[in-house]
Amino acid sequence: MIQLCNIGKVYDNGAPALHDINLKIPSGDFVYITGSSGAGKSTLLRLLYCADRPSRGQILMGERNITRLRPRSVALLRREIGFVFQDFKLLNKRTVFENVALPLQVQGLAKQEIQSRVYQLLQYVGLEYKLQRKPLELSGGEQQRVAIARAMIVRPRVLLADEPTGNLDSDLAIEIMEMFTRINHEGTTVLLATHDRELLDRFPRRTIVLKGGHIVSDTLPQTAEETPSKEEAI
Amino acid sequence: MERLRYFLQRTLLSMRQTPLLSGATIGTVAIALMLLSFFTLIVFNVQNLTRQWSRDIQVIVYLDRIPSNSVLEQWCQEITKLPAVETVHYVSQAEAFERFRKRLGQNDDLLDGLMPEILPASLEIALREEARTQRGAEELVELLSRNSTFSDFRYGQEWLERYDAFMFLLRLTGTLAGGFLIFATLFIISNTIKLTIYARRDELEILSLIGATPFFIKAPFLAEGAFQGAIGALLALGGCHVLYYFFLKKGLAALLTTAAAQNISFLPTWMQVAVLGLGLTLGLAGSMLPLRKFVRM
Ligand SMILES: Nc1ncnc2c1ncn2[C@@H]1O[C@H](COP(=O)(O)OP(=O)(O)OP(=O)(O)O)[C@@H](O)[C@H]1O
Ligand SMILES: [Mg+2]
Repeated sequence: MIQLCNIGKVYDNGAPALHDINLKIPSGDFVYITGSSGAGKSTLLRLLYCADRPSRGQILMGERNITRLRPRSVALLRREIGFVFQDFKLLNKRTVFENVALPLQVQGLAKQEIQSRVYQLLQYVGLEYKLQRKPLELSGGEQQRVAIARAMIVRPRVLLADEPTGNLDSDLAIEIMEMFTRINHEGTTVLLATHDRELLDRFPRRTIVLKGGHIVSDTLPQTAEETPSKEEAI
Repeated sequence: MERLRYFLQRTLLSMRQTPLLSGATIGTVAIALMLLSFFTLIVFNVQNLTRQWSRDIQVIVYLDRIPSNSVLEQWCQEITKLPAVETVHYVSQAEAFERFRKRLGQNDDLLDGLMPEILPASLEIALREEARTQRGAEELVELLSRNSTFSDFRYGQEWLERYDAFMFLLRLTGTLAGGFLIFATLFIISNTIKLTIYARRDELEILSLIGATPFFIKAPFLAEGAFQGAIGALLALGGCHVLYYFFLKKGLAALLTTAAAQNISFLPTWMQVAVLGLGLTLGLAGSMLPLRKFVRM
């Protein structure tokens, strides 16, 4: 369960990004956050990841209040969360393999386990032939898949994805969405920021619309249970 | 274990990736520590030599009357017990006369026909090293003058005064110059390492974003700093050795007018270890300072 109470965010330069956000997201949910550019989608996700602190209000994740965590606790929290960044944030000097392995290395897992898990996941996102490439030698879509793989490698309880399909053609976007659906079925809460209407229509889910930092609507899909992805997944 | 290997790998890799900056850090440490060790070496040797001179510092008590053997023995025992005293030596009138004759050398015929009784007997009191200062000597004299039979003291007042001032100046200059050098080095190193960190700030950010603890992020940089500091210190010691053998040994000997160059020595082992430790600490502190700014989250 993720809960936001009266969240407001004003950036240091004075730009207001979020106003009075109240939100409850039960564990295991799959939620879209949408809205036009500059509406505050990325800001909202960044707050959940403790990449920024809210200017006001409280954020609860499970039993924990994550509003004012110490640096070490932030680090431990992030190990339970996967984040796909809008700008990927890959290490351009390291290979695809090393990039995906990094979160596990940080946690001090054994080399063999890291290797097998990374290889499996890269296979899963279709990049097993490019593990020794550097990110800048890949296409935008391939980089995005590396970023997604890195977020999923820790088997997170919560997956936050900021425009994860922004650089993908619609076939690939659908594949990625199916991947997300699958890990959602395995119990991971997924929050996905996107302004891809096609995607919203194709995989209808609970959708939160932001505008100018306010929530303007929060709707469940009409056909609540039946999602087209379900058959295709598995 | 995995982590240790990871840190080592990262450290070496990063030094290979930024050889110029690593070189600059090592060079800074090396030059600063070389200056420092060189200066220490000089101070150390000067101090050593003056310590040898200071063996001559003693308090002499001239005795008006010749004490009986038992009284003399008691005095000697009492004086030896004083904390500032190393040894007490009784110089009889005959011994004083004999010394005087020797000092006169060829002119000793001047003394012919004189009785040894013309010179007073005395107690020569050698001081322990820590008491070989003007104050030490004065305090001892004050203690001794409680015995009313002791009234005539000699202890080279003027010489001691100058010796004290000289040692004070030497230590003061050493401490000031050393402190200044250390701060300057710290400043330069932390700025150089800041550049290294700046060149890799994306990596720091990403590591932090994927759940690396602050320690995990900092450790490779700290290890790098410490390692570079230690290498710099080793280079400094090596350079100092070279300078020492080719220039300093003869130069110092000439300067201090000591006959034998073997009185000049290189820094003792503990000081060399201290220089190494100092380099390591400088590197560590030099990377800790800028890291505090970059790794906040
Ligand atoms: N680091 C920052 N410093 C100052 N202002 C910022 C910062 N990041 C975002 N903003 C501002 O906050 C507002 C919300 O930005 P945010 O990135 O959350 O929008 P978004 O919904 O993700 O947009 P997009 O769809 O283009 O990614 C914008 O007006 C933006 O200018
Ligand atoms: Mg955004």
